[in-house]
Amino acid sequence: MHLIGLPLATLIQIGAAAGLIVVVAYILKLKRRPVPVAFSKLWTRILREKEATSLFSQLKRLLSLLLQLILLTLLIAALGDPRAAASVVEGRSLVILVDASASMQATDGSPTRLDAARQEVRKLVRGLGGSDRALVAQMDASVTPLSTMTDDVPTLEAAVDSVKATESHADFARALRFAVDTLQGLTNPEIVVVSDGRLGEARDAFGQVSLGDAKLSFVKVGSRSRNVAITQFSVRRYPLDKSRYEVMIEVANTSAEPLDLELSLYGDDNLVDLTKFQVKPGERLPRFYPNLAGASRSLEARVRLANGESDDLPADDRAWALLPERRRAKVLCVTRGNMYLEAALLLDEYLDVTLIDPPSYPVPGTRYDVTIFDNFAPVPAQSSGALLYINPSGEHAPVKIVGELKDVGFDTWDKKSPLLRWTAITDVNIARAAKMQPDKDDQVVGASFEGPLLVMGRRDGRRFVTLGFDLRDSDLPLRISWPLILLNTINNFIEEDTQYISSYRTGTIWRIPVPQDAKEATLTAPDGSLHRLPVLQGHAVYLGQSAGIYKLATTVAGATVESAFAANLSDIDESTITPAPELSVHGALAGQVQGFHVGVRREIWIYLLLAVILMTTIEWITYHRRITV
Amino acid sequence: MGIRDLIRRVSLPPPSVRGETDLFDEEFQRKLEYLAIVSRRVFAGRMRAERRTKKTGSGIEFADHRDYVAGDDFRYLDWNIYQRLGRLLLRLFEEEEDLSIYLIVDTSSSMGFGRNKKIVYAKKMAAALAYIGLANLDRVAIVTTTDKVLDRMPPTRGKQRIFKVFQFLREAHADGTTDLGQALRVFVSQHKRRGLAVLISDLYDPAGFEHGINVLRYNKFEPFVLHIIDRSDSSPPLRGDVRIYDCESGEEREVTVTSRVLQKYKQAYEQYLTDIQTFCASKQVPYVPADISVPFDDMVLRVLRRGGIVG
Repeated sequence: MHLIGLPLATLIQIGAAAGLIVVVAYILKLKRRPVPVAFSKLWTRILREKEATSLFSQLKRLLSLLLQLILLTLLIAALGDPRAAASVVEGRSLVILVDASASMQATDGSPTRLDAARQEVRKLVRGLGGSDRALVAQMDASVTPLSTMTDDVPTLEAAVDSVKATESHADFARALRFAVDTLQGLTNPEIVVVSDGRLGEARDAFGQVSLGDAKLSFVKVGSRSRNVAITQFSVRRYPLDKSRYEVMIEVANTSAEPLDLELSLYGDDNLVDLTKFQVKPGERLPRFYPNLAGASRSLEARVRLANGESDDLPADDRAWALLPERRRAKVLCVTRGNMYLEAALLLDEYLDVTLIDPPSYPVPGTRYDVTIFDNFAPVPAQSSGALLYINPSGEHAPVKIVGELKDVGFDTWDKKSPLLRWTAITDVNIARAAKMQPDKDDQVVGASFEGPLLVMGRRDGRRFVTLGFDLRDSDLPLRISWPLILLNTINNFIEEDTQYISSYRTGTIWRIPVPQDAKEATLTAPDGSLHRLPVLQGHAVYLGQSAGIYKLATTVAGATVESAFAANLSDIDESTITPAPELSVHGALAGQVQGFHVGVRREIWIYLLLAVILMTTIEWITYHRRITV
Repeated sequence: MGIRDLIRRVSLPPPSVRGETDLFDEEFQRKLEYLAIVSRRVFAGRMRAERRTKKTGSGIEFADHRDYVAGDDFRYLDWNIYQRLGRLLLRLFEEEEDLSIYLIVDTSSSMGFGRNKKIVYAKKMAAALAYIGLANLDRVAIVTTTDKVLDRMPPTRGKQRIFKVFQFLREAHADGTTDLGQALRVFVSQHKRRGLAVLISDLYDPAGFEHGINVLRYNKFEPFVLHIIDRSDSSPPLRGDVRIYDCESGEEREVTVTSRVLQKYKQAYEQYLTDIQTFCASKQVPYVPADISVPFDDMVLRVLRRGGIVG
């Protein structure tokens, strides 16, 4: 037995002083209160009987003194904080990583795997040795420490209670690196992973994670594996008919048995389609829903077992997607007449096109989203919006014209440019084109070896695209590429994103497009919580870990612009919920947890204090029952 | 003066607060008149003032004969007997005299214990009985005692003397130690005329309640015990470690009062009352327990029904 608190000599001094006070206080009893009685003779007989038991009374009084001295001894011993010799070894330093990934929401725990994990961690925390210290961290797409490195059990238990389930994968490598860094320089380092073991390999961009001196232990939770999941869910509008759209859903069976499924597709909470089919074990089955129409904005897919039973992981049985919002763009076409241009503009019924002659430009009092200058390059009016120049010339051309090109074609082009989405511009023959000299900040989208032919950029804060030749001097209008380039350009200008992502994947960093001038964005998560997001290069950045519909609000020039997007788990690894029997890192197997004895605290002072409370309670009861008086 | 006496004096409220100045107010006097009328109705036909005694004297009703001795009054010689038998016999007649009622009020400190409730009750009872006696043309005397005879009101008769009774009782206060035996020995020596002796007391006599009653019995008085009882005496409000002292003798004892002790005390108290009752019954002494929680007029009627005082 060792004393961790006050030293023995001090305890003896305190004990002697306090004991003396108790004994003196016992001897110097409180003087009895004088009380008159009417006839003391009546009391004499009683007191005579009482005196017969005076010996027993004295014994009881001695017992009372003895009890007080025992209480005092226990209290003073508690001040010394005695510990068993075996427990006064150098304590362990533990980082307990609690897996909070989507697979931990499987309902084969109590009721979920995460609840089972919490129980396991509580057992560990309550079984900590007197010199052990621990830190509880939540492991999901990131790693979040929920406590400090402490030996305070209530703090650690509160940390365990604050572990929240996410709908994302677990970044095991990041969590291990965090744990290793935390344990750097601490004694007896140990990492305890409480998980279903579906964590993948502990490898990241820096390579395999090395645990160093830290011991790795694994507490497994979970048992069952029956699960069906929606692993892909995407929707897009047809580029040339944006009133229609198509949907792709991928359903996976991660179980070891074939499952009969029922897949439902909802548009704005109305059932659009319901399909029943069977999926083989381990099969990933994509399903397409082409040529859907309607005003639906939000889509939701739900899958369930055809027999009405639930699988073990409901979190991946639903997925959401949002169609890009449509609005009628106002387009001003300044041309002396161009059939190819006017015909291409007719393809999109959502365009509100106004045709005028060059002399009529500008049109006062009307704002346009896009203005197309066909063989005409005036000083653009402020109300003209973004500008598309076709074969510009003159001093007001956005790109300096330095000559002429003959018999050229597109030899190089930027395949990732939104202007060339869904199309290719090979084999376009151009008889005559302007030789353009773009500024250094301009982006050349397509060019011949002699010079750029399609350029995009900004002038005076206004976006522009310049096609360096007259349509009638090429065979481009005869190709399907032309209307696509034209509509892609207009869509790009009006920020109706043809690259619209119908749903994000949880557990990744999302870069959500926001209006160019926005500085900050406010995100409303599916659970209603609000988050302020930073905006970098026209994108709000957020690490999303919950599936559902999000709303994003940005403020531009005093006006609030709201948008929405969906997020889904879409992770076949997380949906494969079969628990791993063991965990290995860098080829080394994690061991079993050892040295945790639940319900036994090694701080003896707690038990001493409990004994004092117990004895005081007994004394209190016996006193008020007049047993010890 | 010790601390105990000081506490006792401080604990006693002044007479004005004790309500003794209003003890015999008009309401009280009306009740007395009512009691007097009721007593006549109850004992109609046998309450006409005079009470026959066993003493022979100069009455008109023949009692017995005895031999003549020198010095006897010739007028009472029975000459008819002399003519027939030749013996001088003297005719004896029952002497008629009014009854003497002695009201002996215990005014020891114990009677004032408990905010004077017992002494006040005792005074009211004494006044009521005195009034009834006076109304019946009996001789009524009142004596206050502790361990000695403190004060005495000489025998008097007639209803109009009730105010003298009131005045006498007003001046009596509870103070002193009880020794009924000693006090009543003085009493009997001072009162040669025998009669009914009503002892109004709580009988808290350290020397023993029997002594006082026996003194009366042995001296040919007709004792009547009116026992003043305060039920709160049986359950004193005591708890914990206390030092009790007798309010009269000052005798001290240390005691730890528990519920068990209180229960035993109550049993001892009840036993004490039983002892008194048993003693009186065995000695054929009329005994009436007067619980102060009972209104005094009801108690007076109870006493009258018990009999022995009048009628």
